[in-house]
Amino acid sequence: MSEHTTSATTRPSTRKRYKRIAYGLLGAGILALWIGIALDRFVLGVALYWAGGLGMGLVQRFSPVELYDERDGTISRKASQSTMNVFAYVFVLGTPGGLALQESGLVTLPGEFYGATWTLFGVFVVFGASHLYYKRRT
Amino acid sequence: MRNDIPDRRAETDESQADLAAAVGVTRQTINAIERERYDPSLELAFALADHFDCRIEDVFEPDE
Repeated sequence: MSEHTTSATTRPSTRKRYKRIAYGLLGAGILALWIGIALDRFVLGVALYWAGGLGMGLVQRFSPVELYDERDGTISRKASQSTMNVFAYVFVLGTPGGLALQESGLVTLPGEFYGATWTLFGVFVVFGASHLYYKRRT
Repeated sequence: MRNDIPDRRAETDESQADLAAAVGVTRQTINAIERERYDPSLELAFALADHFDCRIEDVFEPDE
């Protein structure tokens, strides 16, 4: 075997098994949340939901195999780029557009508009900080 | 990027899954590379060339 050849720990079959475990834990957590809400045991449901999410994270972090290969990373990166592009258009065009409509008296903007605007602003602040961080490291 | 991975696999009677396991990616990634829908990283390209015991430029050819 050559130095570039993969060890048994990165075999797709093993990867698939750990992915199933990770997503299964999250799915169980979501199911527990629904059941908790239905049975009026909301706190317990949320606790189990968090446990499922944490379990998924732990499996992803500590599994002996890499759960995602480079194509998964590329797909994720492209999807993130597309999402940010959509958000950018909504933020750049939608915010001043909404405010202009409000100022002209055509509409009265609901509180959700401002909430969404600040949320998008926060997303872009995080994106900018993240971009700066990786720019300095790359 | 064009490649001759399907031909090389056929020569050795190797499935996409076998090749994927050998170089540490999913079968879908090998399929995407063969269909020229995904260009592998340099590291994966080296691994593939190494697997077929040849140079990268023997396996891959840039689009003109």
